[in-house]
Amino acid sequence: MRNAKIRNAVMAFTFLLPSLLGFAVFSILPMLVSATVSLSDWDGLHELTLFDDAAGFFREYGVGLSHYAAIFRSAELWQTLGNTLEFVVTYVPLMLIAALGVGLILTQKRRGSGVLRALYYIPVITSWVAGALVWRWALSPEYGIVNAILDIVGIRGTMWLQSEDWAMPGIVLASVWKDMGYFGLMFFAGLRSIDQGYYEAAQIDGAGRVRQFINVTLPMLSPTMFFVIIISIINSLQIFPQVMVMTPGGGPGGSTMVMVERIYTRAFSYYQMGYASALSWVLFAVIFIMTFVQMKLQEGWVTYSV
Amino acid sequence: MKKLIALLCAAAIAMSLGACSSGGNAANLPASVSGQTTANNGGEAATTDEKTPVTINFDQFSGSGDNETYLKQMIDLYTAANPHVTVKLQSYGYDDYFKQLSAKVAAGKAPDVFELNYENFAAYAGNGSLSTIDGMGVDTSVYNQMALQAFSFSGVQYGVPNSFSNVVLIYNKDLFDQAGEAYPTDDWKWEDAMSAAEKIRALDDNIFGYYHSLSFSEFYKTVAQNGGSFLSVDGKAFAFNSPQNLETLTYMVDMQTKTNVMPTAAQLGAMGDWDLFKSGRLGMIVTGIWAFPDFTRDCDFAWDVEVEPGHTQKATHFFSNGYVIAKDTSIAEEAAQFITFISSNRQATQIRLDAAWELPPINDEEIVSQYKAQTPPANREAVFKSLDYLVTPPVITQFVELQDIVGRNLLDCANGLVTPQQCLDKMQEECSSSIDLTAGGTS
Amino acid sequence: MFYWIGAGSLAVVVCVPFFFMISTAFKSRGALMNIPMEWIPKEPTMEAFAKLFDVPYFIRSMGNSLYIAASCTAAQLLFASMAAFALTKIPFKGQKVIFSLFVTALMIPVQITFIPIFIILTRLGLTNSLNAFILFQFFNAFAIFMLRQRMLTIHDALIEAALIDGADWWRIFFQIVIPLCGGTLATLGILSFMSVWNDYLLPLVLLSDRAKATLPVILSGLSSQYKYQYDLMMAGALVSIVPIFVLYICVQGQFKEGMTVGGVKG
Repeated sequence: MRNAKIRNAVMAFTFLLPSLLGFAVFSILPMLVSATVSLSDWDGLHELTLFDDAAGFFREYGVGLSHYAAIFRSAELWQTLGNTLEFVVTYVPLMLIAALGVGLILTQKRRGSGVLRALYYIPVITSWVAGALVWRWALSPEYGIVNAILDIVGIRGTMWLQSEDWAMPGIVLASVWKDMGYFGLMFFAGLRSIDQGYYEAAQIDGAGRVRQFINVTLPMLSPTMFFVIIISIINSLQIFPQVMVMTPGGGPGGSTMVMVERIYTRAFSYYQMGYASALSWVLFAVIFIMTFVQMKLQEGWVTYSV
Repeated sequence: MKKLIALLCAAAIAMSLGACSSGGNAANLPASVSGQTTANNGGEAATTDEKTPVTINFDQFSGSGDNETYLKQMIDLYTAANPHVTVKLQSYGYDDYFKQLSAKVAAGKAPDVFELNYENFAAYAGNGSLSTIDGMGVDTSVYNQMALQAFSFSGVQYGVPNSFSNVVLIYNKDLFDQAGEAYPTDDWKWEDAMSAAEKIRALDDNIFGYYHSLSFSEFYKTVAQNGGSFLSVDGKAFAFNSPQNLETLTYMVDMQTKTNVMPTAAQLGAMGDWDLFKSGRLGMIVTGIWAFPDFTRDCDFAWDVEVEPGHTQKATHFFSNGYVIAKDTSIAEEAAQFITFISSNRQATQIRLDAAWELPPINDEEIVSQYKAQTPPANREAVFKSLDYLVTPPVITQFVELQDIVGRNLLDCANGLVTPQQCLDKMQEECSSSIDLTAGGTS
Repeated sequence: MFYWIGAGSLAVVVCVPFFFMISTAFKSRGALMNIPMEWIPKEPTMEAFAKLFDVPYFIRSMGNSLYIAASCTAAQLLFASMAAFALTKIPFKGQKVIFSLFVTALMIPVQITFIPIFIILTRLGLTNSLNAFILFQFFNAFAIFMLRQRMLTIHDALIEAALIDGADWWRIFFQIVIPLCGGTLATLGILSFMSVWNDYLLPLVLLSDRAKATLPVILSGLSSQYKYQYDLMMAGALVSIVPIFVLYICVQGQFKEGMTVGGVKG
């Protein structure tokens, strides 16, 4: 019995070996480096001597925890964190609904579903540069199609990307457009792997389509749902390219200034690599906490097998 | 606890890998580097023709796309005259350039020669990442002195300009004709420009009179046109809050929100400012002379240029890119020869000129008169007249940050979120708290 | 009926921007800024495409990108499913801890780890090598996570039965688990191909040799000089999505596999 345990552990390690190697070299090591840089005033304008002479590096650049202290005192952190969280809480639910819709449409076995599958994927492969050009036009207050449609329904449009209150919702809209095919495809894969037997059993029990959806589809889809929620929260906390291309310079009143944009700008434009690294660890902590909570919550609602 | 152990194990693996790799690296130096060391030693007795081969790694951004072809021709000229030199050119788009440069510098793989723009130069020079060209036997008298000055920091010359461009007033002649207005002249004032702009604006709902971007450099220069400044007289403190600055900002914002001769961001929609001009719906635009090739190709109406209007005085500004030499290069002298050649040699600048690739940064009558002879625009004289009124922004290491703070607040002001007075107050507060002016060089 | 209205309007929303890209790419320069916008170019032209294919190393870079994307996708699928298999089906202490650690790798923005990664790769002497990018796929937290979620739904009874029949872990992995994950692997394959195909930060700094540049690197080089030439930009964007689109169409038949094979397990 003990032997079998050891054999299993060795086997598992063998299967995990490439991943562990890659993880150590390309994730852990860079993270350690950035954690160390976050305790320094290194500017990115000099060679990073950390690898060869860590003590010398700290003698020259070490500043202890002062970046962290400065970050927590800065108004910038709370503003960018607030904007980032605003994006997360609006984007994630909207995207989930849209993506689940896409997934459900794609599973319908009807004529033309193959074509739809291809069409829905188009925004995913469109680059943000092209996507932003289109969306800036679509959201433009005077000539834009979004306001034109709102007008038909009788709602007065807004200034969207030029307004302090509506710039972020505009970015959420564009992001949902771009990502719903991506996550929709994952839902599609999840829906496809549900055993038809469960539906047959439910039908025999006399369950209607709504009951089937609630009793079979949702629980069986929960592993995928969990995955999509975790990934989309992690990704959206790191929102960046769409903000850069749609509202360069932080948007009206800094309303679309987000965490990763600040990290990027401070690292590569202001040459404050130390500060930027510290900021990225603050972001890490936020992401970690939110993911941790999700991981704990999953025990309540994710079913892996019936 | 378990997690901690797992983390430590992973870290240990990672560290040992890191150590292995760095150990193996020393023996693995690229051949070019070891070659360069000998080249330098041999340089003492350089009178002989037998020069040791040298490789110059050269990174730049301004010569990407089509311009890379011309840059290569310029490099070929140099290597033909100096057969012992090999130049390894790498071109990047501007958006990625500084990111990859930081990565290379961090890894100790900085290119021997690289390009910096005016905005980033002070950060590199001020932090001691460049090597000076003083005392390298380089003749800097051929350069336009204003452009040359842009690459000097605390009195030390760290590089040479490779191109040079300034900002002028470009106008749509057809729209002036339609509005029955006389074309701009070089003694125009703000009022003249605004009154013409209003006439043109009145032509059609979709036609606008005037455009200038609400950016740091535009604001800096327009403030100077009104005799104002961002800085105190001694240059040691910010002084955003002055009557001149307030008047200037009000002028810049009013043309959008009050007279609306300049489109608001909403009216511009997804269009760029150049697009608006090219579409024939804009009377005047204040922009750089690098727009000439684009406008020549895309405008199907008559257009010309003039010196920008001033207020209490004239002021114009310029941009310059320069080539610099890395601090740690072992071939600084070769590098200095090379960058001087491709930026100021007669044949090399001729290639640049023929390609209509900005303005060569040299005071060569022949080159200058050739530049003036090209059309459109007909009045290229204005490009040179504008040079008489150049103002230069402060050379400070945190220049990009200053630019961002000012630019962001200007946009908020244009969007009506803050009044011009509040805007200046915010600039003053933010800049004073995050920018250290004493770390600057010359100003 | 409801289905068609929903599916149809969604398709329109999704396609409008794409249509805009196509129409812009075929516009002549003068038509780019016309008001009202020309949805269908009056005088369509291939000028932008001709210019694009004239860019030095353009075609070569497509080949490089294809090579990197294909080899990295293959490597990622193999290594990630191996890891996910170990984390779900081989019982050993530490499954949860390792998985949690893996997920943290997704939490640090690449903007900040990019410089250390570049330094590590330079020190390993891996610059200017297309094959070096495969190393990068040894570990992919996203892929492991996605496959883990799929494998968790496979009944352990299936594995136990195979073990009793005397199958070893490799056989179980290749002959039972992998076929069951067909749909997820196909989906992941598309996503991974796309992300490698579009990746440009590392290729930009690692492949300094022009002949080894990837497509996004060449395209981004163009974008700073030609940012006002929308026809060229859109033509570039179009050309770069064609291979992914073709691959997607080819692979989408595979999406079903997971279900049909999965039916056996009940």
